Amino acid sequence: MTIIYRSTDQLMAEVRRDLVRKHPFAEERVGFISVKAAQTQDGLLLIADNYFPVADNDYLYDDTVGAMMGAEALRKALNIALLNQVGIIHVHMHLYPGRLWFSRTDLREQLKFVPDFFKVRRNMPHGAMVLSPFTAAGRMWLAPDIIERIAEFNTVGSHLKVSRSADDGSADFYV
Amino acid sequence: MTDRDFSRQSFLGANSEVVLAGMRVAIVGLGGGGSHVAQQLTHIGVGEIRVVDPDRIEASNLNRLVGAKDEDVVAATPKVLIAERQIKEIRPWITVVPKMNKWQEVAELLRDVHVIFGCVDGYEQRAFLEGAARRFGVAYIDIGMDVAQIGDNSFAIGGQMIMTLPNGPCMQCLGFITPERLSQEENRYGDAGINPQVVWTNGTLASLAIGCFIKLVTPWFASDPKFIWLELDGNAQVVQASRQPNYISVPESCPHHGGKDGIGDPFFSLR
Repeated sequence: MTIIYRSTDQLMAEVRRDLVRKHPFAEERVGFISVKAAQTQDGLLLIADNYFPVADNDYLYDDTVGAMMGAEALRKALNIALLNQVGIIHVHMHLYPGRLWFSRTDLREQLKFVPDFFKVRRNMPHGAMVLSPFTAAGRMWLAPDIIERIAEFNTVGSHLKVSRSADDGSADFYV
Repeated sequence: MTDRDFSRQSFLGANSEVVLAGMRVAIVGLGGGGSHVAQQLTHIGVGEIRVVDPDRIEASNLNRLVGAKDEDVVAATPKVLIAERQIKEIRPWITVVPKMNKWQEVAELLRDVHVIFGCVDGYEQRAFLEGAARRFGVAYIDIGMDVAQIGDNSFAIGGQMIMTLPNGPCMQCLGFITPERLSQEENRYGDAGINPQVVWTNGTLASLAIGCFIKLVTPWFASDPKFIWLELDGNAQVVQASRQPNYISVPESCPHHGGKDGIGDPFFSLR
């Protein structure tokens, strides 16, 4: 199963612009990307549809993590999946150089909320993604208990960028 | 391996051979234009080439179909197998996926490619193929030529190379595909016989398409176009950017594709 995430360069620029903005108290920002999907010969193609930033007021103060979403942020994201035939990908950014992958906290917290999206939109894949300013890495849930790495990222615009993740899902921080 | 030396095109950028080897492309239509495109993609080292065409070669194709031999005409070899043979003879490591089908029958093959080269006949087929490309977020590069009679024993050869992107104007937005042209097409195609094609024009247009592809995927030449539309005046042998979009209002976002169910497979379901 090869999972490909594809987006326009405009949308990814919008996502990155939003995620690097300072928050009043959270160390980092988070958001959600809605995706459409299609079967390919040997896997799944995800096509980014829209970006939904988490509102300033929907963060909880928690100095043990970079950003903690409140229940309202998750409710709004669940609502997007409920009302539209889309998958939802939680997204945040890592700005420090190093191998691009989720922190242990990210991995633990994702297990708590990503499977919930199957309660409202069970026929679409949902997941999580981490961006560097240049590249991306991520994993998708194909069912509440089946997780696969995103193998390839395509950014389509006047320049076409293709990056691939390692077997463990991680990616180079730089292009 | 001797065939992995790309030093003469290293100016395309650091690791450009790795970038190109990581590309998956589809060529729809393996006639005069598509066979040239396949040949050049092979030489520059694209890693996976999917070729789709339902037809077998005929004697009338031999005037332009690159890689075809007399014995292919005798054997009525499928055009996609001629393309596969040619690619493998030049660079055996390239993955080739030949499909002797109409592209609509193997549409899954077009979804995860990075670029689709449309080398098909007619405006309607172009419009359908571009629509499929945009649905799956694929850059689309189209080539085509026509010959029109402009007087007694006088003909005009023309052609175009158009690249459109999923977030830019489509060929309808640009005024290349119009309702008038679609309706005229139902009645005729080309004034100099049925679908006239010549090898030198096909080759020129294919070269323009490959140049466009290289600019899209390598940092060789920095540019930020929302689309590229080059016109070939085959009589004067001059290529220039089309001025047609200057005479119409090209919309910022395409009203012909996209929308609520305009991307992805609307019938997709995990189970």
